[in-house]
Amino acid sequence: MGSAPSPLPSAHGTPTETVSAQVGSAVRPPLPVKMVVAGGFGVGKTTAVAAVSEIEPLTTEASITEVAAGIDDVSLTPNKTTTTVAMDFGCLTLDPTLKLYLFGTPGQDRFGFMWDDVTEGALGALVVVDSRRLDDCFPAVDYFERKGMPFAVAVNTFDGDLTHPLDAVREALDVAEEVPVLCFDARDSGSVRDSLVIVLEHALARAVAAA
Amino acid sequence: MSRQGGRSDPAGRRGGEPAGETHGAERAPAVRPFMVTDGRVAAEAGLPVETQVVATAEGLGQLGALAFERRAIVEICGTPLSLAEVAVKLRLHLNVVRVLAGDLRAGRLLAVHVPRSGTSSDIDVLRRVIDGLRAIPTSVGSRDAD
Repeated sequence: MGSAPSPLPSAHGTPTETVSAQVGSAVRPPLPVKMVVAGGFGVGKTTAVAAVSEIEPLTTEASITEVAAGIDDVSLTPNKTTTTVAMDFGCLTLDPTLKLYLFGTPGQDRFGFMWDDVTEGALGALVVVDSRRLDDCFPAVDYFERKGMPFAVAVNTFDGDLTHPLDAVREALDVAEEVPVLCFDARDSGSVRDSLVIVLEHALARAVAAA
Repeated sequence: MSRQGGRSDPAGRRGGEPAGETHGAERAPAVRPFMVTDGRVAAEAGLPVETQVVATAEGLGQLGALAFERRAIVEICGTPLSLAEVAVKLRLHLNVVRVLAGDLRAGRLLAVHVPRSGTSSDIDVLRRVIDGLRAIPTSVGSRDAD
């Protein structure tokens, strides 16, 4: 049974495509949606996921596609290969029919940042930044820009210290004007929740503009 | 500090070392993933990590006839789980879960609900997620007044 399910444009309100034929009377699962929490090593990704997840963040292994170059033009990088990495995730049941998964993807990777396996179909991404080590997030920012995925840059304030003003961070990252740059506290569930909402509002604005 | 500077760094690696030779170095599981799947790699590689799987009545009814990982998957999927959760709970590689879920689906023991493509830019879905997030209680107070 190798053929891919054909995701027909189904009627609104259908939570998921049931790929298997009518088998038994399986429980109707919620619509799963996902967001990505990305950034360099030790910037607070796992902390942020833990702050809002209803389960202890779990770690699993996933395959990622690596590109053996960090240069802008992905078409010039034929050296794609697949490797296995650990990623954390958490989840939030928003209502019985809707479940949000958060995937924390490690960004410290000398081969760049091609997390297609995880990011495909994500609603958006939060790129977590430690403003003292700003370049750690460059691969993630580059990746989401190339992918055209809505994202926001969230400077983790750690102990309430914002070492660099947001304007300076925005300037250094050189992100598009519409990309939100904000500060948050990765330990605070409300702060993380609000940051995710900012990503989604950005995604919504883009979706509305494109509709 | 600018991103241009950061981006120029990996230039020396372009077309250089084959990245494929670096993986698997850290730790080898006792049972290699391909042994669990009879040597097959993920034919179901297209299944997103959040794909929901749930045991069918047939699957639960035939638990006794299943063994090892297949049985474990059906057993924990009495309520819907994502492939990622199954992988974590059973300590299996995600791609192993994908292959086995494909088998179990073919045998009608597991229902596999693949998310619709296009969900990520679906305006209704985005609104529902925003509303859902706003509604969750965040008891851990002390938010920055900002």
